Amino acid sequence: MRPKIQTVCGFGCGSSLMLKMKIDDILKANHLEADTFCSDVGTCLANPCDVIFISKELGEQIKDRAKVPVIIIDNFMNTKEVEQKVLDYYKTNK
Amino acid sequence: MEKIALQDIEVQVEASNWQEAITKAGQLLADDHKIDIGYIDSMIQAVNQLGPYIVLMPEFALAHAAPSSHVKETSISLITLKKPVYFGSKNDPVSIVMCIACVDKTSHMELLQEVAKKLMTDGILNKMKQCRTSEELYALFN
Repeated sequence: MRPKIQTVCGFGCGSSLMLKMKIDDILKANHLEADTFCSDVGTCLANPCDVIFISKELGEQIKDRAKVPVIIIDNFMNTKEVEQKVLDYYKTNK
Repeated sequence: MEKIALQDIEVQVEASNWQEAITKAGQLLADDHKIDIGYIDSMIQAVNQLGPYIVLMPEFALAHAAPSSHVKETSISLITLKKPVYFGSKNDPVSIVMCIACVDKTSHMELLQEVAKKLMTDGILNKMKQCRTSEELYALFN
């Protein structure tokens, strides 16, 4: 499986980029494959993807309209939290 | 590679609320002619419109806005606060504010990557808070 993972922040170039890098590290460490890219909250729902990783505040604005799973991250720099949520996604979407 | 210039770093800054904290962090870049004041307003507007999502982890806020003509040079400033401020986030209170200005969506990626690596180091936030001079904080990052 090689999902398209979208990370989202306000403008698609600050925290979403940090989260994308974090997820890339985790995928590599766990020998998982994915296409990751970042984007802004205004356009993210129009971008084709399999799952969205996003902060709590922004996630609440899009989760009712999203057609793919929206995964909320509380602490973008916490490897444990991000890793757990990435691995859970892979487990439930084999 | 120098990630944050010494003149764009300040420790023990006094701010009474989050707006003031972002303004003071942004002012360092404005004084350095890397952004104009309009960018500071955009960063504050972003929080007003989108919520306090910029508080990425406990104690730390990453202020930024969309790339625009207000940004003259891709740059980062960093301040620690004398007294923490509240953004209304789960990760409050915030003692460290970093401000990122970028001329476009991609040219700062390498810089941000280096900074992110630092931020992921264990105990880095405590070390940052303990810095008593901007030189100390500069040394920690560069």
